[in-house]
Amino acid sequence: MEPVMFLIVGYVVIGGLLASLGAHLLPVGGAPAAMGTATGIATGTVQIMLGAVLTGLFTAANVATFTDNILLVSLSGAVGATIMLVVVMFMANILYAFGCGVVPISGRVDVDPITKEPQAPYKTPQTDGHGVPNVVFISGTLGGFVGGFGGALMYFTLLNYAHFTAGTAAVASFSIFVANAILAAYNIRGTIEGFHDPKFKRLPKSMIASFAISLLAGIVVVLAAIGLGVI
Amino acid sequence: MLVIAFLAFIACTFEDIESDIGSQSNPNSQVQLAAQVGQVNRFFNKAISGEPLSNAMYCVVAGTVVWMLLIKLEPLVPGATWKAAVVAIPIGVGVAALIHMIFSTSAHCGRVAGQKRFEQPIYLDVLYGHLLPIATHGFMTTFCITSIAYIQSNIGTLSGNPQLNHPFALPLLGFIWGITVGSIGSSTGDVHYGTEREFQDRPFGEGKRVVYHGKITRYAECGVRTQKDIAGFCAKFGGPCTGMTFGLIILFENWRTLVGMLLGGFLPNLPAFTASGDMAAIGGIVMGLLIVAAFVVGNLVFVKWVRKKCGPFVGV
Repeated sequence: MEPVMFLIVGYVVIGGLLASLGAHLLPVGGAPAAMGTATGIATGTVQIMLGAVLTGLFTAANVATFTDNILLVSLSGAVGATIMLVVVMFMANILYAFGCGVVPISGRVDVDPITKEPQAPYKTPQTDGHGVPNVVFISGTLGGFVGGFGGALMYFTLLNYAHFTAGTAAVASFSIFVANAILAAYNIRGTIEGFHDPKFKRLPKSMIASFAISLLAGIVVVLAAIGLGVI
Repeated sequence: MLVIAFLAFIACTFEDIESDIGSQSNPNSQVQLAAQVGQVNRFFNKAISGEPLSNAMYCVVAGTVVWMLLIKLEPLVPGATWKAAVVAIPIGVGVAALIHMIFSTSAHCGRVAGQKRFEQPIYLDVLYGHLLPIATHGFMTTFCITSIAYIQSNIGTLSGNPQLNHPFALPLLGFIWGITVGSIGSSTGDVHYGTEREFQDRPFGEGKRVVYHGKITRYAECGVRTQKDIAGFCAKFGGPCTGMTFGLIILFENWRTLVGMLLGGFLPNLPAFTASGDMAAIGGIVMGLLIVAAFVVGNLVFVKWVRKKCGPFVGV
């Protein structure tokens, strides 16, 4: 057993756990958010997570061509995913405000934990909030950063430690990410607003599942690398 | 870089309008529900899969065909490989558009046939009349994404320095941007369709209540509403907003990497895996964090402004 094998499995597990944590931090409104019936981004957990992480992965792959520092590559991916999410959330708010006349309001808390703005008086009855209020925006920003970091970390590991080609490393890291994001989506069951949402307390269960699937994925990556004769 | 950002703007604008014409997104849950609550309608009911995955599929199909054609055509035009791209990209995207139409037909017929027990008929004029708009809007999206992927995978070759080519192949870049364009179209533009246009006979300025769900607006400004009326409406605001989202993301992502490269002294020389490369990465990260901070502050100001302008909820 060579140390690099433990390194690969370890980084893949860390990446998977970060993917799960990032998915729980994202404000996912799903179909109800598209009708202004729930707070958050109007699409599914996996859909928005993949969009963000792949944007980060694009930049991370670019950066990995001129630096071999794992932290810098991972941070580049994290910032890429964060930029994607902040632009999406901001533009969604513009659409809610000017296209639908809807005020961004959280449905899960009466007072915004960050800005202390009251939420309940602005909420439409029989809805679970609407738009992307500030606390949700901050949570989504953190989620994008954490998820993007995990995705880029896995990409770098597969590229430089398991010696996959750039394309294969991207597809493999993306696939491990999808598995973790789907597990998180099952745990979330519909919509979540972020760290202030009661559903966020379910996170440990998802982390255990993510640990198991990422460990298995890491072992498969090591076996593939041994099979290819690169380590 | 600006060409790529402009293509991204066009791609996502058309992606959103295509998803409105075909009703392929989260608001389609209401079209699906409408027949079940007795609202027989003339909406096109196409939800092949989540938007990111279906767009990734079209872009990968187009990218793969283009890639194969380029391998065959580029040796025929030495020194002017762009000529091969001019032929290959429209053909590849055309193939993807055909597949798009096939999936649209099977998805619409399958979904509506499943609603037979709710007496929802399959209107053949709705089926035939929407296929071409869906395919043409989808063509524009796939064309722009494939062009972006072509430029990015060949940017070094086109500018005379092959080292600058993106490490991913054309179909993989198509996959990445296909997922991203669908993800943005699904999360941003559909709000205009779902919250506003689908429930236009409900009060403006409030989130749509659960009791309204399924009771969509079935009559247009003139006659019975189909998705063609929705496309015209959403093209005025939802589509361009969505396009701007993707355009800004592509612009910021490429711009911050480029600025980082310039700050780190990485361009025009390319001393990869040195302190210069590290500085280029750090420069890109710092620029990215500044952009993120600007948006967070921007949202704080915007939400405060909207709350003040609209005020508390006053309806019943």
